[in-house]
Amino acid sequence: MIIARSALSMRSIVLAGAIALLAGCATPTTYEGMVPTAFDIAKRHARSVSLAVSGGRETDAMDKPQITDAAFTQALAEAIAKSQTFSRVVQGAGGDYLLTVAMTGMEQPSFGFSFTVKMEAGWTLRRASTGAVVWQQAIFSEHTATTSDAFAAVTRLRLATEGAARNNIAQGLTRISRLDL
Amino acid sequence: MWRTSAVAVLACGSLLVNSGCAINRATASVTPGADIAAARTFYVAQTPEDERGIEKLIRDNLVKRGYKANAGPATANPPAADVVVTYVDRWMWDITMYMLELTVTFRNPTNSFPMAVGNSYHTSLSRLSPEQMVDEVLGNIFNKVKETGK
Repeated sequence: MIIARSALSMRSIVLAGAIALLAGCATPTTYEGMVPTAFDIAKRHARSVSLAVSGGRETDAMDKPQITDAAFTQALAEAIAKSQTFSRVVQGAGGDYLLTVAMTGMEQPSFGFSFTVKMEAGWTLRRASTGAVVWQQAIFSEHTATTSDAFAAVTRLRLATEGAARNNIAQGLTRISRLDL
Repeated sequence: MWRTSAVAVLACGSLLVNSGCAINRATASVTPGADIAAARTFYVAQTPEDERGIEKLIRDNLVKRGYKANAGPATANPPAADVVVTYVDRWMWDITMYMLELTVTFRNPTNSFPMAVGNSYHTSLSRLSPEQMVDEVLGNIFNKVKETGK
């Protein structure tokens, strides 16, 4: 009787430990989740663009999902290609324009069923030949993920974070498409 | 049986809550192209939800660093300054309330564009006072400004 009880207790503790470990392991955001699926593009610019993204960071195992510069750059490049906001994206320097995006703010909740993530990024478009600023704006975006999107909290938070970045990219490209370049 | 399971679930919950007790993070970045080195006057805009007067701590710290700084409500037309400072403070309870995270953003007063941002995150076991958090965040921003020369 006592042995059976101890075994049950051990099983419960192992199970609890496993849940604790799984719940605490944040998964990094993916670039695929940050590419907008629809675009509101006014003009397609017949020029090329280089990209420079800053402000991102790696995801620690016990931290909340973060966005790396590389993942955001890849998502932005794919979004530009899909939307044709610019004729092409040039790797490194060499584009007609330089688009810099600095991720400066990210608000992520810790508890709840619905997770709303808010993001701010500073977008600047420069003419590469002169360095002149053509357009500059802080863009705020947010996205809410619910339990119908994902039951596991860490996944829900990742989806909300990717959604906020996705909306930020969509807004940024919409505004750029309205410029006269 | 249920009692044992309940104890295990409580232990699990405790693990979840306490697993983050020693996380420390302090970062700062300056937006490429922003020029903060020339700034001399600052206006600290109070976060509407802040009832603890963090804007005054930031203002005092800037003054201590030799800058001219004022603090007041967030408004669409802030008083003339080279930089408008905004912030987000997050608090947590563990025996007492403590500041878990502070993010300070230096903005261009003409278009609110973020010129630099600093963030500090200290969980319970390594908690800092609000004054220390402000000092750490601003110190990291100004160090980054020195590094970049902007």
